[in-house]
Amino acid sequence: MSDARFVNLRIVGTSVLPDEAIPLVEGEGRFVNDIRLPGMYHVAFLRSQHAHARLRSVDTNRAQELPGVVKVLTGKELLGKVEPFRSMPNRFSGGESVQHWLAVDKVRFCGEAICAVVAEDRATAEDAAELIEVDYEPLPAVTDPRLGERDDAPLVHDTCPNNYLIKREYQRGNVDEAFGSAHLVVKRKFRIGRKQALCLEPRGCVAAYRDSTFVLTMWMSHQLPYVVRHYVAKHLRLPENDVRVVAADTGGGFGQKASIYPEEFVCAYLALGLRRPVKWVEDRLENMVASTHARDQYIEIEIAADRDGRILALSSDVWVDVGAYSTYLWSAGMEPLQTAGLMPGPYKVAAMRYRTRGVATNKTPVGPYRAVGRPSASASLELLLDEVARRLKLDPAEMRRRNLIPIESMPYRNANNLVHDNVNYLPCLKLSTAKIDYERLRAEQRELSAGGKLRGIGVACFAELTGLGTTTAVGPGTLLQPGRDAVTLRLETTGVLTIAAALPSQGQRIMMAMRQVAVDELGIGLSDTNCLTNDTAMAPYGFGTFASRTAVFGSGAVIQAAKELRRRILALGAFLLKVSADDLTIVNSVIQTVDRSKSMPLREMAEKSYFSAKDIPQELNPGFEVTSFYDPKLGSFAAGAHIAVVDVDPQTGDVKIIRYVASEDVGTMINPAVVEGQIIGGIAQGIGEALLEELVYDENGQPRTVTLADYLIPTALEIPRIELHHANTPSAALGGFKGCGEGSTTGAVAAVACAVADALNQRGGDIHEFPATPERVLKGLGVLT
Amino acid sequence: MKPAWFDYYAPRSLEDALRILGDGGTDGRVLAGGQSLMPMLNCRILSPAVLVDINRIDTLNRLHVGTDSLTVGALVRHADLLRNAHVRDGWPLLAEATTQVAHPAIRNRGTVCGSVSHNDPSAEQPSVLLTLDGTIVIAGSAGRRELPAEEFFTGMLSTALEPGEMVVELRYPRPPAGTGAAFVEFARRLGDFAIAGAAAMLTMRDGVCEKARLTIVGMGEGPFRARAAEEVLTARRIGRKESKDAFAEAAARVTATVDPVDDVHTSSSYRRHLAGVMAVRALETALARTRGEQVG
Amino acid sequence: MAREQRIQLTVNGKSYEKTVPVRLSLADFIREHLHLTGTHLGCEHGVCGACTILVNGRSARSCLMLAVQADGADIVTIEGLRAEDGTRHPMQEAFHENFGLQCGYCTPGMLITTIELLQDNPNPDEQEIRETLSGNLCRCTGYQSIVNAVLAAARKAQSVENETGRAQKTGSRGKP
Repeated sequence: MSDARFVNLRIVGTSVLPDEAIPLVEGEGRFVNDIRLPGMYHVAFLRSQHAHARLRSVDTNRAQELPGVVKVLTGKELLGKVEPFRSMPNRFSGGESVQHWLAVDKVRFCGEAICAVVAEDRATAEDAAELIEVDYEPLPAVTDPRLGERDDAPLVHDTCPNNYLIKREYQRGNVDEAFGSAHLVVKRKFRIGRKQALCLEPRGCVAAYRDSTFVLTMWMSHQLPYVVRHYVAKHLRLPENDVRVVAADTGGGFGQKASIYPEEFVCAYLALGLRRPVKWVEDRLENMVASTHARDQYIEIEIAADRDGRILALSSDVWVDVGAYSTYLWSAGMEPLQTAGLMPGPYKVAAMRYRTRGVATNKTPVGPYRAVGRPSASASLELLLDEVARRLKLDPAEMRRRNLIPIESMPYRNANNLVHDNVNYLPCLKLSTAKIDYERLRAEQRELSAGGKLRGIGVACFAELTGLGTTTAVGPGTLLQPGRDAVTLRLETTGVLTIAAALPSQGQRIMMAMRQVAVDELGIGLSDTNCLTNDTAMAPYGFGTFASRTAVFGSGAVIQAAKELRRRILALGAFLLKVSADDLTIVNSVIQTVDRSKSMPLREMAEKSYFSAKDIPQELNPGFEVTSFYDPKLGSFAAGAHIAVVDVDPQTGDVKIIRYVASEDVGTMINPAVVEGQIIGGIAQGIGEALLEELVYDENGQPRTVTLADYLIPTALEIPRIELHHANTPSAALGGFKGCGEGSTTGAVAAVACAVADALNQRGGDIHEFPATPERVLKGLGVLT
Repeated sequence: MKPAWFDYYAPRSLEDALRILGDGGTDGRVLAGGQSLMPMLNCRILSPAVLVDINRIDTLNRLHVGTDSLTVGALVRHADLLRNAHVRDGWPLLAEATTQVAHPAIRNRGTVCGSVSHNDPSAEQPSVLLTLDGTIVIAGSAGRRELPAEEFFTGMLSTALEPGEMVVELRYPRPPAGTGAAFVEFARRLGDFAIAGAAAMLTMRDGVCEKARLTIVGMGEGPFRARAAEEVLTARRIGRKESKDAFAEAAARVTATVDPVDDVHTSSSYRRHLAGVMAVRALETALARTRGEQVG
Repeated sequence: MAREQRIQLTVNGKSYEKTVPVRLSLADFIREHLHLTGTHLGCEHGVCGACTILVNGRSARSCLMLAVQADGADIVTIEGLRAEDGTRHPMQEAFHENFGLQCGYCTPGMLITTIELLQDNPNPDEQEIRETLSGNLCRCTGYQSIVNAVLAAARKAQSVENETGRAQKTGSRGKP
């Protein structure tokens, strides 16, 4: 919408303060645990203490007798009454895995729910859970995917031979020829440890029976309220319209709260059966074992390069430890298929081949978490590129330059069948190297190295496919194709604009973003706009917030709907003001002629439309409510180039990031401060992945990292001040928007991993297992064996 | 993560507290700062039947700076030490170590005596008490007794406290003139439990080390007094030229004598190596401070 | 032995007298009995800092205190940071203006911790701020905007002090 008639200052592109943050800064958020309903009961779960065991018996008598206990629910009681979670169909599925909401015959991971105790308060429910007697018959546990795929390994699911929940082979281009004729072939093996999203607020829900006009209302800490509604209705055999799901204020999601879990469904079942509201809040000990984990890959990667360092082909073998069940909704395919499939990143790769497996083990199931397979894939490839650079005596940044897909080649179909377009990789790299004064940095590094100091520099470039439309799968191989979403724009009786979309925020300020777009598209004042995003009762169907999609979908749908809404407003305005619609514009919520001789506030027009309809011809008063579904068809590539500088203490193995420069292409930015917050937040999680975070299991499948004293996420001291720069290229989506938030995690894991390896390389050392703990660093230096 | 039930008492006199604790046998616990105890109760790692909250016993809230020693009562918080200029000046090792205890909110409530009684092998306070040759004053229904720090720490999370007894006071002798001390630790993040740490104290006269104290943190059994290292340094000339070799030798004695265990965070060999590194860093800083150099 | 005890305490300037289970944490008491849900539970073992409040003027993890221990105490939570006329505390303004929060879950603890910091050290540098913040975990922001907020709040307080020539007065209820 170009338009000289718009005299408003455009606010897309300005860092408007988001008033949706005000309740949060005042302590007036409404998170799940803040919700109290009269007569509400509390739920605690008894969880398996064994990684793999047959349940011979579950005796709940003593628990039931404890005063204050209302009910103890077992898996047996649910049999036949509800459908268990059968793994989502996936083209590359190895077999079906069935997950009962509460374990029936077997438990398959430490932390799997066995019973649900309902009591008058949480403490009593926990008291009762301790009184439940479970007779376990321990079974051998699978804890390593490379052992788990062998023919002699115990089976986690009888229906999944070799414990394959996912298996795929892929080839494109003439890989063998490329390897055969290459000037240089390098092969490396990498191990990326298990992680989890570690949202500050764990999961939780309140389920209520006939709370209002709905049979079942659920407040959840969740990213996908409509998807939950669909599956709750399906599993509990309720008409979908009898169910209302509200995403409460959610304390972090990051993909962990985009899966479907048994606990919330158990709560729904209990609420319906007890006819009382039921609350379950996941405590941190539970969260460490009951919410999905991520990463946990073994990656073998081989590169064929020519004498100029150009990639001729890539070949990889990937094993992912996907845990005990194929997670409901996205399936076990997320990490395995993305790690291998997205490995080329932003580089020209003419030929590639991979074999990837998601192997079931007796651990917590693995689900989507910020950037999914890309960080591990990118880190592996970038480390390998550095190795090639070393052998060819090329500068690592130059290596990247030679291999990044140039804009002149776009649209460019890469060997993984993704088409790169409307993205410019090279400017990001150019900007980062310029801002960090790359040449001087390398010179400094050489000086320091001569003096015995270990400084490392890591350069990493990434491509991030965001805002995926219907032609590109978010979860490869799955039947779930969330490629379109809707927004309803409605002018209320007071002239205020309601923007309704099923796109809840966990801090991304989606409401503010959509309001800014609406202001620019319609000419309505910001304070006359309002958003409803969290409630299935109030918004049109939408898949929710994940995969860096809300800027593209929410904004795109707003733009589409606004076009029609504006047309209707101007048509009625023309009638009421007795002018031609072409003479009219909307400025700051006022419909006015361009010369301002005639005007009417939107509020007044709305009142007339609603309350004086008899005075208006019907065709000019079709109602000021427009719902528009938007499908961008393709995805929009975002990009970035990150450079991390680290100092490694050769005595302790400690790694300090002393400088971090990131240049990113996130398309047209709606609210720059919000975008920067997303990027820095993503970098922080990437730094955590590369240096600190790891979930450890012993050989019996017992989790060893079970509190926040064991699982270490970065604090303010581990994250340096990030120097952010922008090299934005608009996407082809409406408004030129792209998603952001995940790419930066990918860039950070890769850049920091490369920086550490580069530091060790000053002394001929290396590292291939991450996180780069001090101990691994010293081993990589040969200081420890 | 709600605790199991317990009987809660908040006596106003030490006598009452000891009586209740005595009656509780092995199933009673003292609640002072609660920064170590409450997490265990919330996780249900521990479910004591009796909790004796000593926070109402005003006589225990005593921090006394004397000519010869510092007295720290059972209700003195880590933060109280840091806010006291006399403590910072007279017992710099204690102040330095205390700044590394967790974070401000934990230091505001957690008590020094509590930390000593808990004896987590990665904690700072036990090692400082040991390094400074401190004394622990213990009270039980049978009366009071005093133990030197050396006899108090008996193993991982264990002390010489008998059931029904509690620590009421700690005494830290004032370090003599010519003493430099340093506390260094290595943790993954600031405030985390140390993977390894060292408290070093050197008393020098005319370039000769009159007295050396070196305690290693994080070795699994409570604070480890590195006697073999101390022997190597005592009565030895440690000037600018000699210190490198002297400390390397001391560190070698440390790594040869500590016996750390593997745990989820690190292997024993890494801890052992780190113990040597921390020993050297602590000794170097302590030495520099004997010369009046500002370090850190 | 009674499983409940009566306690009397002041929270955000208001007096309360309540009967509480002895095992109830101070955090749960504030949230469930006083309906002040701004104080959040992120771990219940003292590490994340989301539950941090002021007890007798000093920051403390409310998840590691029992409600019965707060008998006679003066408590300030995030809800008590507002002035009587409803104006937000300068630190809350600074957080909002500097985008110092995203999901908002860590924010209550961050505010209390940083308010205490500026009380003790009105002009901290970035390193000091980060050290103090290291006991409060945030998973969303990467901390940069929070550090910016604290620097901005410190600068603003300094300029107010310079302008008026007086130390910035606390509210009439003795709040920070």
